Amino acid sequence: MDLGLASDDLDKCVQCGLCLSSCPTYRVTGDETMSPRGRIALMRHVQHRGAPLTAEVVDAFETCIQCRGCEPACPSSVPYGHLIEQTRSVLVASGASTPWWQRLAFRQLARPRLLRAGTTVLALAQRAHLVPQRLGLPARLPLRRDPHVVSGRDVYLFTGCVMDAWQRDVHHAAARVLEAAGCGVTPTGDAAPCCGALQAHAGLLDETRRLARRMIEQLEPDVPIVVDSAGCGAAMKDYGRLLDTDEGRAFAERVVDVHEFLAPILDRLPTVDPLDLRVAVQDPCHLRHVQRVHGATRTVLAPFVRELVELDDDGLCCGAGGAYSVLHPALAGTVRSRKLAAITRASADVVASANPGCTMHLAAGGCATLHPIELIDRALSEERAPGRPPRRSRRRSSRG
Amino acid sequence: MAATLASADPVLADFAEQVGAEGPVAVEGGRTRWLVGGAPPPDVRTVRAPAGIVEYAPEEMTVRVRAGTTVAELDAELSSRGQRTPLPDRGGTVGGALAVGENHPGLLGRGRVRSSLLQVRYVSADGVLVNGGGPTVKNVTGFDLPRLMVGSLGTLGLLAEVILRTEPNPAVSQWVVSDDADPFAVRHVLLRPGAVLWDGGRTWALLEGQADDVASERAAIAVHGTFTDGDGWPELPPHRWSLTPSGLRDIGAHATGRFVAVVGAGLVFAAEPQPSRILDPAARTVGERLKRNFDPDGRLNPGRDPAAR
Amino acid sequence: MSGDPAVDDLVAALGEALAPDRVRHDGAERALLSRDASVFEGGVAGPVCFPVSTSEVQAIMRIAAAGGHNVVPRGAGTGLAGGAIPLGAPIVVSTTRMNRILDVDVDDRIAWVEPGVVNLDLSRHLGPLGFHFAPDPSSQQVCTIGGNVANNSGGPHCLAEGVTNAHVRAIEVVLPDGEVAMLGGLDAEPLGYDLRGVFVGGEGTLGIATRIAVTITPNPPAVRTLLLSFAEVVDAANTVSAVIAAGCVPAAMEVMDQRITVAVERYVGAGYPTDAAAVLLAEVDGLAHGVDHDAETIATIGRANGATDVRLAANDDERALLWKGRKTAFGAIAQIAPDYYLHDTVVPRSKLADVLEQVYAIADRHELLVMNVFHAGDGNLHPLLIFDAREPGVLERVHLAGAEIITASLDAGGVLSGEHGIGVEKQQYMDRLFTDDDLDHQDRLRRAFDPTCRANPGKVLPVGHSCADIQSLRAVPTGVWG
Ligand SMILES: Cc1cc2nc3c(=O)[nH]c(=O)nc-3n(C[C@H](O)[C@H](O)[C@H](O)COP(=O)(O)OP(=O)(O)OC[C@H]3O[C@@H](n4cnc5c(N)ncnc54)[C@H](O)[C@@H]3O)c2cc1C
Ligand code: SF4
Ligand code: SF4
Repeated sequence: MDLGLASDDLDKCVQCGLCLSSCPTYRVTGDETMSPRGRIALMRHVQHRGAPLTAEVVDAFETCIQCRGCEPACPSSVPYGHLIEQTRSVLVASGASTPWWQRLAFRQLARPRLLRAGTTVLALAQRAHLVPQRLGLPARLPLRRDPHVVSGRDVYLFTGCVMDAWQRDVHHAAARVLEAAGCGVTPTGDAAPCCGALQAHAGLLDETRRLARRMIEQLEPDVPIVVDSAGCGAAMKDYGRLLDTDEGRAFAERVVDVHEFLAPILDRLPTVDPLDLRVAVQDPCHLRHVQRVHGATRTVLAPFVRELVELDDDGLCCGAGGAYSVLHPALAGTVRSRKLAAITRASADVVASANPGCTMHLAAGGCATLHPIELIDRALSEERAPGRPPRRSRRRSSRG
Repeated sequence: MAATLASADPVLADFAEQVGAEGPVAVEGGRTRWLVGGAPPPDVRTVRAPAGIVEYAPEEMTVRVRAGTTVAELDAELSSRGQRTPLPDRGGTVGGALAVGENHPGLLGRGRVRSSLLQVRYVSADGVLVNGGGPTVKNVTGFDLPRLMVGSLGTLGLLAEVILRTEPNPAVSQWVVSDDADPFAVRHVLLRPGAVLWDGGRTWALLEGQADDVASERAAIAVHGTFTDGDGWPELPPHRWSLTPSGLRDIGAHATGRFVAVVGAGLVFAAEPQPSRILDPAARTVGERLKRNFDPDGRLNPGRDPAAR
Repeated sequence: MSGDPAVDDLVAALGEALAPDRVRHDGAERALLSRDASVFEGGVAGPVCFPVSTSEVQAIMRIAAAGGHNVVPRGAGTGLAGGAIPLGAPIVVSTTRMNRILDVDVDDRIAWVEPGVVNLDLSRHLGPLGFHFAPDPSSQQVCTIGGNVANNSGGPHCLAEGVTNAHVRAIEVVLPDGEVAMLGGLDAEPLGYDLRGVFVGGEGTLGIATRIAVTITPNPPAVRTLLLSFAEVVDAANTVSAVIAAGCVPAAMEVMDQRITVAVERYVGAGYPTDAAAVLLAEVDGLAHGVDHDAETIATIGRANGATDVRLAANDDERALLWKGRKTAFGAIAQIAPDYYLHDTVVPRSKLADVLEQVYAIADRHELLVMNVFHAGDGNLHPLLIFDAREPGVLERVHLAGAEIITASLDAGGVLSGEHGIGVEKQQYMDRLFTDDDLDHQDRLRRAFDPTCRANPGKVLPVGHSCADIQSLRAVPTGVWG
């Protein structure tokens, strides 16, 4: 079957296996079919040698978390993320993958009002203990959300779909921090309801393209688009390739992760007492492996907490993977256990993770997790709180 | 090609002829460890391996030497170029030292005998010259016959010629002794000591390296005891015990008599012999098959068994 | 269901002994496990097992012994000589689920590990205790200790410390007949033949290692890393020889030629000079004064041998960057052409310069690009032939050039492999180095462990020697290009 993969990309893989340890599904199963090298080999078998799409082959592709941890590990620069997205999109088109009910669910993401209403229902149900815990929803979904406020037009703050419904507090925190740095913020709100990342992972590339085009139309040109969700940011930075148009490329250029945006202008933020916390940084895969701007998270967060610690597992994925933790709960749970063990070894007070899916997935595993921007916001707001004792000396770097 | 050279070497060919293909035969070195692993029958025919250093390349850190060369002769040649090997000199031959496989009491600094053998040429039970390993310091070409020969007591083949890896001597070697030190703490502090010995009371440490480092290591172990200059190896009791390094901590539980233990290695020189040791049964079976495969008639060094030390 | 009742029975029996979900026999799994990181195709895997304990491995071996089936152990499948390639549809035993670090004992300086523990994971685990596992193959982030043991693997830092064999104290092995043997021991001088020493480097033909006691090495208190540049490759090679001759054995001495440094600079920017014909990356470790002394020795000798520049890494970051350049060399190459064939021969140090010249000439003759990055300290050459497999006829040329490189190395008094092993890659060259009698004795050694030749058959020894001489394994001849 033609998976529509570029031979040049596929043939780049020399099967050295150097990517194996960076793959969460291989790490917990030890199975080549659950590894990047194996999945690429299967793509070749299917596309070049006409191997049948057996249940095992489909399973190999579907169990990929698409964390793209394999990409930075690969010396041959195999563009794995694009290969698997394309493969999944052909599987969907052929009916081998992503059944109708999943597709329907993904379509809801771009319908903000519906999503918010649904969330409220879920939140109520949660409070009535009607939602099974294994679904991995946040401990308490919000019942009501404060409205977004426009404070200026220096930057857009991309608010998105699930995150806006479930974790709008994070957007508010990001807006306050950006404002503290002197930026007027326009939350994108319903003008750009969804980035299409989850759809792309599921192989619904056309849906993603539609959403991308809509967003490009809706947002004014030239204003930087700040994103506080690593997964959304990664998807939006890829619009150029996805749409293969000049508008797409120009738009992608404007997309910037919130930490990446703040790092060079950090001195614009007030100097405050750091929070008395030992914070472990858990990089969302799409920040570390795809956008590769995870250094900025540390730069930005360091002055605001007592101590930053690294996990000792080389940035392995936590298993959240967008909708993955819902679709493959068992495997996602095993991957998460590995991550939780690393977190325990780091003996941190709190884990900072800059992606809504990851924070929810980790929190569902019983781990205190916050978005880095929430920590910064908290440090800044404690400073603003009235009746505080006078400040001690400056301490900017507290990394160690 | 290396192997044809071996058979073309008249000295080795002559040795192979002496060994022949029939009848029991024992190889004699310095007879210093004649009884290790069992005594050969008194009337057994004996042969001697050829002697002499064939080729010494200090810059390659290798030396090609006939098995019958004495360790003393080899040591003299190597030390003239500031090098050494892990082989202990007890008055015997290079072949004997390898076949017995016992380590130098300074094995912490010199390394182990088993790691020093790069290439081996031996005469098989059929009287044929066999070559194993290779001349380079690194080599994973095929099954490891050199490792098999070390410590095999000549029961699988009689060593004719070997290539050994050599090591540079340390710039400075200095003995220090203490009567109140914790030898285990001392061993832990020293990065690459030549030796740490202990007789239950006194601790000897051989410090090796650049002079300044030796001085600073000496200062570092002073925390664990009062050290004075030493003057060399203590006298080592005759029997060898093989324990684990941590097993030395309760050496008092064993009837060793007077002992000197090599801390960090688990080797003990004791007045009394070690109670008999038990070899893993499945490993013993493999050993027996080896003997059958290499010497079906049991003609090589009869009476000896590396599993019966 | 395979359609073959005998195979179905075998799979069912294995599933019962382990767990049904840890025995796979589907086409996808078998296709993937028919290869490793080498270029060889033609392997055919039978049922694939993922045991989690010694007793499960034993159960597999007993089933195999009873039914006369062959068995191939497999670690991470990063071998470059085809050691883990299954020939003739044997049972494949993957050790990846046996990946626990069982015990670390600082007093005995050992770590007991299961075979599937990843090399770098062990060193990471030991880090907080101030120790590491010395062998550091360039694949260390993925390859397993079991694979390291089977291949007697080396790495840049094995010059002073020695390769895997020097760091293995005891191995629990399930023998091909299903018996469990403990080879070697933690005591100073274990009893009997050195079976542990023999097992290391056995390429999976002597049984399956299920627990391994490796020596752990203290992290050195001081490290100095030097980068020397040369106008001629020969000068770098001569420097390496001269350093050793001067009685200095650095922790590592790696040489990279200009083609490599140019590629590396483009790829990661490690700070290598791109105008030098070759660079020597040397590292010394140990106590503070010793490392300064040795660093000075290397610098002086380098200058005397024509080094155009000598640089000492100023800090840990710089040092890390220099090593990053070395360790990503393969990656850098992949940016130039999609395929490479990595050779592995050893020559006496004094012949390095000479053999290198021949290697360049051989590649030129076959109109191939060759790059050299190698463990110069132990004379271990790694010529990389770089090509695009899609170019018609190129594979034959790569093959011919490879054969000539091997010949040149052997003619210089070298050996076939320094660290990758023989596998299926170099069987046909074994008789260049060994006589029939020599090979016959290797075969006797092997059959003491595996009298019926069922463990990883068809490897190491060339056809014509009993354990390799099972023609039915070779439905597709080895050496087929993939
Ligand atoms: C990019 C790259 C760089 C490399 N660099 C180096 C290097 O610097 N130095 C070096 O020495 N090698 C290097 N290698 C080769 C390879 O990584 C090593 O040989 C490694 O030790 C193989 O380990 P593995 O776990 O992948 O074993 P595998 O490839 O899975 O197996 C290797 C052999 O071991 C056997 N085996 C595996 N597990 C067991 C067991 N438990 N018991 C018995 N037999 C077993 C297999 O049957 C096979 O014969 C490199 C490879 C790559 C791809
Ligand atoms: S994207 Fe993640 S899960 Fe998928 S193959 Fe790569 S590393 Fe594995
Ligand atoms: S994807 Fe990259 S790292 Fe993984 S096997 Fe292929 S070439 Fe090697």
